[in-house]
Amino acid sequence: MSSPDTAQPRAADAAGPAPPLGPGPAASGGRLVWRPRGTDAVQTTASLAALVLMILVFSVLDAQFRSWDNVVAVVDAAAVLAVVTVGLTFVLLLGAIDLSVEGVIGACALTVALLVANSRTGLDLGVLGVAATVALGAAFGLLSGVLSTRLRIPSFLTTLGVYAIGLGVATILFSGERPIVEDPWLGDWASSRFLGFTIVSWVAAGAILVGWLIQRYTRVGRYAYAIGGAEDIARLSGVPVARYKTAAFAVAGAFYGLGAVMATSQLGSGVVQAGSGLNFSAIAAAVIGGTLLVGGRGGVLQSMIGVLVLTVLQNGLILAGVSPYAQQAVQGVIVVVAVAAATWPVRHRLGVVK
Amino acid sequence: MSTDTAPEVARPSEAPRQPDGSSRVRRELVRFMPLIILAVLLVLLSLRNPDLLTQRSLTTMADSAAPLMVLAVGITVVILCGGIDLSIGALASFASVLTALWVPSMSGAVVVPVVLVCALAGVVQGWIHIAARVPSFIVTLGGMSLWTGLALAFSGASTVAVTDIAALRWAFTRIGGTVPSALVIALGVVVVLGAVMRFTPFGRWVASVGHAEPAARLAGLPVSMVKIAAFGVSGACAGLAGVLLVARTFSGAPTLGESLLLPAVAAVIVGGTAITGGHGGLFRTVVGALIVVLLRTGLSLIGVDAGFEPIFYGVLIIIAVSVTIDRSKVAVLK
Repeated sequence: MSSPDTAQPRAADAAGPAPPLGPGPAASGGRLVWRPRGTDAVQTTASLAALVLMILVFSVLDAQFRSWDNVVAVVDAAAVLAVVTVGLTFVLLLGAIDLSVEGVIGACALTVALLVANSRTGLDLGVLGVAATVALGAAFGLLSGVLSTRLRIPSFLTTLGVYAIGLGVATILFSGERPIVEDPWLGDWASSRFLGFTIVSWVAAGAILVGWLIQRYTRVGRYAYAIGGAEDIARLSGVPVARYKTAAFAVAGAFYGLGAVMATSQLGSGVVQAGSGLNFSAIAAAVIGGTLLVGGRGGVLQSMIGVLVLTVLQNGLILAGVSPYAQQAVQGVIVVVAVAAATWPVRHRLGVVK
Repeated sequence: MSTDTAPEVARPSEAPRQPDGSSRVRRELVRFMPLIILAVLLVLLSLRNPDLLTQRSLTTMADSAAPLMVLAVGITVVILCGGIDLSIGALASFASVLTALWVPSMSGAVVVPVVLVCALAGVVQGWIHIAARVPSFIVTLGGMSLWTGLALAFSGASTVAVTDIAALRWAFTRIGGTVPSALVIALGVVVVLGAVMRFTPFGRWVASVGHAEPAARLAGLPVSMVKIAAFGVSGACAGLAGVLLVARTFSGAPTLGESLLLPAVAAVIVGGTAITGGHGGLFRTVVGALIVVLLRTGLSLIGVDAGFEPIFYGVLIIIAVSVTIDRSKVAVLK
C-alpha cells in the first residue's frame, strides 16, 4: 500500500551513497509484484501472521476471548494507543524519535479537564476546549520540531526535554487538586456506544483515517518518507527539510493532544500520569507493525497492525491470568527484538551505531 | 582538546573547521562554564538565603546529591563512548527492590549481589546493542520497560519496607558526626572510576571510541568490549545508587529511581560532557551534579512551585546540549 509513496525516494536511493536499508540492486526493477520489498514489508507480513496466530490460539484456549464482548473490549482498549501511535508514526517516518508523548499527554489531559465543564474552573468550553487541547498538543510538537531542526540536536534529547516540560506544565496545572470532568458530552465519549463501540473508538477510527490521508495526500506525509529515506538527498532535491520535519512533529503532537482528550474522557478526570506507559507502547506498536526506526519505511496502517498485536496480546494474557507487570517486562524485550529483527539481515552494513 | 575535529571523516558539506581564535575562546569558555555557573549559583543563593551554607542544609543537600552523583558518573562513561543509557532510573528502582527483598537474608552484604546483578544487566544491554547493532537508546528504552516491569512484579507493585535498619546504616550515617557517608561513597566511586580512566588504557579507549569509532576500530582497539564495559559500569552505578536510595528511605519501591533519570542526564550534559561522545569527564559530571542539586535546592528556597522542577531539567538539558554538542560529528540529525 505504500509502494507509490516510497517510489520516489527509493529511486533517489539507488543513485545515492549507501541507502540505509534499500533493497539489493537486483530488486530495483520492481517487476516482482508480490515479493516483500525491504525489511519493513517482511516485518508487516510477519506481524499480520503473528496477529492471526495469536487470535487463533487465544480463541481455542479461552471461550471468553472469542466472545463479541471481548472483541469490543479489545477495540476500546486499543483506541488511545492507536491515536498516539498514528502521531508517533509521522515522527518515526522521519527517522527521528519522540520521547515526549507522556509529558505532552499529561499537559493536554490537565488542559482539557480544566477547559471543559469541571470541578475546579468555571469554564465550559466543550468542543472548543477539545480543539484548544489538540492545538496545545500540536504546539508541543512544534516546539520539539523547532528545537530539533533549528538547534540541530538529536530528537531523542529535545523530546526528552519537552517530555520534562510537559510533565512540569501538567504538575503546575494539577496544583494538588484533581479536576473532575463534569461535561456530559466529553463523558459520553467513553460511556455511550454507537453500533456497539464507544465513541472513543469511533474517534480513533476517524483519527486513523485522517492520519492515513495526511500521510498519503499531503506534503507533510510524503516528504516525511523522502526525509526518512535519505535526508541529505531530500535536501539536495530541494525539499525544505527543516520546515517539513517541524510540521511532522506538530502533526504528531496534535494526535497526542487528541489521545489525551480520549484518555481524560475514559479516566473521568485530569490526571498528570494519563499517558503513563503510552510512549513505549506506541514505539513498540509502530516498530512491530513495520514502521522502522531508521525512517522512511512503514506507515500509519502498518503501525495499526502493531497496535492490534500489542492489544490482543495484552488482552489474551490478562484473560490467561498473567501479571500485567510481567507484560510490561515482556513488552520491553519485544521492542528490542523487533528492532533487532528488522535490521538483522543488514546489520553489518549499518556502520557506526550509537 | 585541540584534536577534536582531527579524526573526523570529513563531510563534503561541512567546511573544515579550524580552531581559530574566536572558536578557541568559545571552547575554553564552554570548558570552564560549569565551574563558573556553580560558583555564581552558590554566591547568589547564599546571598539570597544565608541558611544555605549552614552545616544542616549542606548535609541534607549532600544526602540527596549522592545517589544522583553515582548515577550520573555511571552514565557519563556511556555518553563518553557516544551512546546513551536511558535505563538507569529504572535499574536503580529495580536495585532498590532487590535490596529491600534481600536485606533480611544478607544484611549489609546485600550491596555486592545487587551491584553485580545490575552490572550484569548493563552488560546484557551493551551486548545486545553491539551484537544486534540496535541503537543504544532503543536497547535501554526497552531495558527501562523490562526493569520497571520486573521491579513491579518482584515487589507486587508496592513499597517494600526494610525493617533491619542497622544493615544499611553504613550508607546513611554521619562520619565523625558531620560528613554524610553517602557522599563519601559517591566521591569514592568517582575517585576509583576516575583512577581507572586515568591510569589504565580504559579511559583513553573510551575517549577514542567516542571521538571516532571507525578510527578506533582500525587502530585495533577492542571497541565492542569497551562499549559493553561502559554499559556494565553504568549498570553497576545504577545498582549502587539504588542501594543508597534504600539506605536513605528505608524502603525499596518500583518507581523510586524513575525521577532520577532526567537530573542525571542533565548533570552529565550541564557538566560539559558532549552527548556526541569523546569530550568530557567524570569530574565535570560531579560539577554538573552539584549544579543540578544546588538549582533544585535553590528553587525550593525561593519558593518556586515544584512543578517547575521538571521544566527546569528539560530546558537545562536542551540548552546545555545545544552548547556542548559537536555538530561536525552528526552528519544527519535524526
